[in-house]
Amino acid sequence: MIGSPTSAARRPGDAAAPYPAPGGATPLPPRPLLEVSGLAVHFPIRQGLFFSRQTGTIRAVDGVSFTIDRGETLGLVGESGCGKSTTVRALVRLLRPTAGSIRFDGVELTRLEGDALRELRRRFQMIFQDPYSSLDPRLTVEAIVAEPLEAHGVGTARERAARVAELLDAVGLPPAVAERYPHEFSGGQRQRIGVARALALQPELVAADEPVSALDVSIQAQIVNLLKQLQQRFHLTYLFVAHDLAVVRHMSDRVAVMYLGRIVELARAEELYRAPLHPYTVALLSAAPVPDPLIEARRRRIILSGEVPSPAAPPPGCRFHTRCWLRERLGRPEACETVDPAVRSVLDGHLVACHFAEQVGASAEQRRATGGGNEDAGWTDGGIGQTKGEAENPRSRGGRD
Amino acid sequence: MALLALEDLTVRFRTRGGTVHAVNGVSFDLEAGETLGLVGESGCGKTATGLAMLRLLPRPAGRVEGGRVVFAGRDLLSLSEAEMRDLRGREIAMVFQDPMTSLNPVLTIGTQLIETLVAHRQLRGAAARGRAIELLEIVGIPQAARSLRRYPHQFSGGMRQRVMIAIALALAPRLLIADEPTTALDVTIQAQVLELIEELTRESGTAVILITHDLGVVAGRTQRICVMYAGFVVETATTRQLFAAPRHPYTVGLLHSIPRPQATGIGELIPIEGAPPEQLTAPSGCPFAPRCAWRIAACWVDNPALVPLTRDGTVAGEVVNTGPQATHRLACHNPASAEEARAGRPLRPGFEAAPPPTDILAVQPAGSAA
Repeated sequence: MIGSPTSAARRPGDAAAPYPAPGGATPLPPRPLLEVSGLAVHFPIRQGLFFSRQTGTIRAVDGVSFTIDRGETLGLVGESGCGKSTTVRALVRLLRPTAGSIRFDGVELTRLEGDALRELRRRFQMIFQDPYSSLDPRLTVEAIVAEPLEAHGVGTARERAARVAELLDAVGLPPAVAERYPHEFSGGQRQRIGVARALALQPELVAADEPVSALDVSIQAQIVNLLKQLQQRFHLTYLFVAHDLAVVRHMSDRVAVMYLGRIVELARAEELYRAPLHPYTVALLSAAPVPDPLIEARRRRIILSGEVPSPAAPPPGCRFHTRCWLRERLGRPEACETVDPAVRSVLDGHLVACHFAEQVGASAEQRRATGGGNEDAGWTDGGIGQTKGEAENPRSRGGRD
Repeated sequence: MALLALEDLTVRFRTRGGTVHAVNGVSFDLEAGETLGLVGESGCGKTATGLAMLRLLPRPAGRVEGGRVVFAGRDLLSLSEAEMRDLRGREIAMVFQDPMTSLNPVLTIGTQLIETLVAHRQLRGAAARGRAIELLEIVGIPQAARSLRRYPHQFSGGMRQRVMIAIALALAPRLLIADEPTTALDVTIQAQVLELIEELTRESGTAVILITHDLGVVAGRTQRICVMYAGFVVETATTRQLFAAPRHPYTVGLLHSIPRPQATGIGELIPIEGAPPEQLTAPSGCPFAPRCAWRIAACWVDNPALVPLTRDGTVAGEVVNTGPQATHRLACHNPASAEEARAGRPLRPGFEAAPPPTDILAVQPAGSAA
């Protein structure tokens, strides 16, 4: 059995969910499954061929804190270089954090080594972005999916084969694929194989790093639905990383927005997309194209000037101040350049790192970006063919069939 | 007369696995200054269509098997190589997805930009340099004069794409083909670059063919859209019509595959089952039939032609090819109704997608799938 098929009802914080924890411990503590605080991952910049010396530091992740409850999905969104992938890699200990604490089910991960780390690692697994490079081309699908089982010495060969068949079925692949090689499959099917491998050890936490961004739209939807279905069925906890705001919203209970190595805003998904409080989040939402021409025609984008500064030399004060529209609006207050804004809780559980988050809430930009008030940006309502414009366009009505 | 008329364009690629039917009789018109979106997923033939127009198909694998590309009254496919070279850049320019591979890494930005101006504009020395600086300033490259001496790798992705746009629009071409120009870029940079293309082409009256897989990008930036699948145009309409009342099951499926940012956030995605065909043979029926929830028996045996929607598609009894009044056309035996398009699935009581006739099954490449 892969997991409890009866654990259909799941909600964040639902401590009574009947998930069989490895080790036989049935009562679940009400604390988050994952607690990250002050996480930092720095990479040295070295120069010189023979006497290489460190000439700088890339602060890829620089003080990130969040928690994930059991059964919950936390979305991590941001543009390239913001540190979201590095965060994930540090969490699953593919990278060694420079500083900070990662507690998984109460156990401090950063200090674990060797067998203890291996043992705990069974409980958190990763799904990678590129289904083309993350599967060994010389192994059959069966060998790929069975690999984690072998590495952890789970079951006999016969049991492992049965388990692989179960897993392939769970991800919607016919049993015959077990004998075949990765190159025989399309991108979507390969990603299903990657998902099957990630689930082999019955993990509790699955970190998915851009799992659908290499796939075509119609295939993306298949994988997104699969991930949601598997979460219900196996009571999984997800850390879902992506740059696509709409996909992240679709998947997540809560969403964290990263910029230049920091989380700048974290809130319930609904809340974040309805009333973002960080100027960067507002700009992101306003920039993302919405598949509706009527909404697009009405929208006014906030075009951020310039580019993301280098994480080797992040700007002093607020890291976003060099591109911030709100700072310009407020007449460039000094605090933005000198004081690094702390993450603070503005509304109930809505975290934001901005000195002037209250002004964002009152701004026309926020309303325009999110569709609050009259200006519909597509983040709040609408469905196919249900936009207001249909009524305005006489040719789109009537005359069908 | 339209600026550009594609007539029955057919492109084949010879590969080791067989001949790929990449583009299968694509026709569309484009008016001067109009912006047309060419939308579809990988392998649908949208890029091959763009390359074929400029005669840039990779040789010897790719070749145009038939059709005409009439640009300003001349069939581009019958021009000499020299005539074509003269036309590229000056009359028709192209921007590609990855600016790193389309810029020459060993030449400075200045050399590449000035080269274009010298080759086509008979500008020399200081005049060419001056114009190059001006162009970089227009596309928003800071310190333009200094940037001329820099190499492509010294720029970020967004800046490189700006340089490409500067080169492409250096000669104020009449047509710009932009193939996934922002796919490699972050969303805030994407907005900057799309805005730039829109602004510059509007000023110069340049027509644009925007090739993309992203329905969000075409929604805001085009007047008209051709949806492609397996090398065929399966639906075409004005952008507003297409989004408000999509009729082809593939278009409907695409729209339901993208998460709609709804307040409730729980709207389920309705994926299109299966995967696109390999296109190694001409489809015996509709190429989308194996994945289509609306298919009827005819779909397996007869590939429907792209025809105007008669009742709500024609304007004064006349078929309009271009512009904001363009006729909604469809290649489908059993289109989705408005309610079905909204729901994302067939709603007719008792309706079931027609099973494949057994003799056809043998030659259908797709249809299996997860």
